[in-house]
Amino acid sequence: MSEEKTTKEIFEEKLKEKKRIPLYNPDAIEKIKEGFDEWKNTKVREKDRENWEVTPYTILGSEIPRGMLYTPCDVADLDYEADVGFPGQEPFTRGPYPNMYRGRVFTIRQLSGAGSPEETNERLKFLLESGATGTNLALDLPTVQMFDSDEPESVGQVGTVGVPIDCVQDMEVIYKDIPIDKVSSSIVTHYPRNSMIIFPMFLVMAEKRGYDWKTLPGSVQNDITMENIVRRAPEYIPPADDFRIQCDNIEFLRKEVPRWNYITLNGYNLREEGTDEIMEMAVAFANGIAILEEMQERGYDPDWVAERMAFFWSVSNDFFEEIARLRAARRLWYKIMKYRFDSKKPRSQLERCHIQTSGISLQRVEPYDNVIRSAFQAMAAILGGTQSLHVDSYAEAYSVPLEEDSLLALRTQQIINAETQVTQVVDPLAGSFYVEKLTNIAESKVLDQLEEIEKEGGFVKAIESGWMHNKIASYIAKERRKIDDGTIKIVGYNYFRRPDVKEPPIKCQEVLEERRQRQIEKLKKWREERDNDKVESCLGAIVDACKSGENVTYKTIEAARAGATEGEMRRKFVEAFGMWKQPLVI
Amino acid sequence: MNEKKIKVLLSAYSLETHSRGIVTVASMLRDAGMEVIYIGNNRPEQIIEAAVQEDVDVVGINSMCGGALELGGELMRSAEEKGIKDNMAFVMGGIFPPEDEPKLKKLGFKALLKPGATSEEVVGSVKEVVEA
Repeated sequence: MSEEKTTKEIFEEKLKEKKRIPLYNPDAIEKIKEGFDEWKNTKVREKDRENWEVTPYTILGSEIPRGMLYTPCDVADLDYEADVGFPGQEPFTRGPYPNMYRGRVFTIRQLSGAGSPEETNERLKFLLESGATGTNLALDLPTVQMFDSDEPESVGQVGTVGVPIDCVQDMEVIYKDIPIDKVSSSIVTHYPRNSMIIFPMFLVMAEKRGYDWKTLPGSVQNDITMENIVRRAPEYIPPADDFRIQCDNIEFLRKEVPRWNYITLNGYNLREEGTDEIMEMAVAFANGIAILEEMQERGYDPDWVAERMAFFWSVSNDFFEEIARLRAARRLWYKIMKYRFDSKKPRSQLERCHIQTSGISLQRVEPYDNVIRSAFQAMAAILGGTQSLHVDSYAEAYSVPLEEDSLLALRTQQIINAETQVTQVVDPLAGSFYVEKLTNIAESKVLDQLEEIEKEGGFVKAIESGWMHNKIASYIAKERRKIDDGTIKIVGYNYFRRPDVKEPPIKCQEVLEERRQRQIEKLKKWREERDNDKVESCLGAIVDACKSGENVTYKTIEAARAGATEGEMRRKFVEAFGMWKQPLVI
Repeated sequence: MNEKKIKVLLSAYSLETHSRGIVTVASMLRDAGMEVIYIGNNRPEQIIEAAVQEDVDVVGINSMCGGALELGGELMRSAEEKGIKDNMAFVMGGIFPPEDEPKLKKLGFKALLKPGATSEEVVGSVKEVVEA
């Protein structure tokens, strides 16, 4: 790795010869500069001159200093074609598609899933009937952690923050009557291993209903960042093996379910755990690069692989910073594809994303204030050109959203789309001296952060060494101190806090032990009715494939078909790879 | 004249995925001069074993996604068996329905911390339960 060039070095080499055509006339810039100095020295009061640059401190923000005013001088060498361009055309700063929201409005994809598979099916249908355009399935904690509902660790957590899925029959109930070839299904199978276990159950359900896998649209998360950095769990497999599992899924999906987004490179959860938005993007890009390199080694063309790569970002409070870096991300990913992987296919150069508003930015005190926070964040996501959006519920710090909370979040999106008219014009903030400058800064900061990861030995090494875990722990402590001393202002919490503030009554999701009991009974019956010898041999084949280097996803498909449960499959990975001790940094 | 450092063990139950809260609390307690031992995710009986081994003053549990009551019950049973229920203070932080709060108190959790608890509140309640 060390003798290989970093992404930044590759760019420098390849872009050095490129002639730039500045948008602004140098004479005009000279004149503006004179006028600006004159104005600053005569019209601006001394105090503002002295504090010209102010560093914004916000939750999950990056602390990029801001001037009081931006002029063409801040982007004097802006080259319209090279830096901004047209939407749907390189460098894609203005958006992945020419007509953006006029062609297709962002997918309204509210995360849902709580209670039993039956209740979840009702909720998905309710949201679709209310105008949601895709489904987004949240799994309960045991399912996320790959435990069956009847394992002792699952007590009290079955159906609490998502839906339980133990085996194929649960998938059949959840997606009953939903046309999965028309409505795209996002399944939040956070981890590579989880994706390898749960997604096959979806595919087996689909084949039982007569769908051809090749027609199915949707996405899984399948991200090692989630499994080995962000997540806490009782057991981990080694990062290098988990990275391979991630890539096995990608290889399988690209070939067998070609319309499916095989990975959602997850910046969101990493950032919400504790990083700024620069690190959020740098880590996701580092994983993206590592994947394409691995797939190249497996003999595939990066252009073929990358066309289904998708990203997942958090959008927090610093409004213009969020918009700018979403624009920057598209330009940077384009450059990575073009200059690092010699991409020829525009589709593979697109950085397409799903955005969720920031849950961490929401407060328990005065929860209704959160409606406003989420709405501004959603607006930033849309002005930044997202493809898909989830707005967090205001009651985030109390409970998973109930039906009326989900409706309010859905309405937030619909009001922005149908009433504010911001979606009529593509990339409306382009050309703002401020936004263009901030876009440039965000891009170069992400690139620098990416270089730091590359110099650490690359993405997987940065996990194995605990480098990432350290970064997160120190960010959390630093941010918390700034909230304590009031540097980061949170309205109602540490800024204008009312001394007598009381929590309003908020309805929470009920934890029902009978849900778990019902799930356990169903599972018991399932285990009795399946061919247990067949299940055993399929489970054994998973271990063999893990050890031999064959693509394991084909084996978990077989196991799901035979009726293996999630927990049964999970244990096979541990058996094959052994355990990894995650660095516990505080 | 040095006061004895308060020793705190922090853990979450096995399946808890989130850790931002517990890492935040760890940094608050450490900044306040306490000794913090973080053992990641564990079953209730494993948490109690560690508490005995480390001979801590306070056991802090994080629960964000349900199971607070059921697993809290197991934790306290295990603490009773090992005879530490009365000489260590148990504190829980996380997200739990308001109607569960009295039940958790009754189980033996001396303080319950919710999202948004300030450093002052967190440190204050740990000191309070130790002194009580």
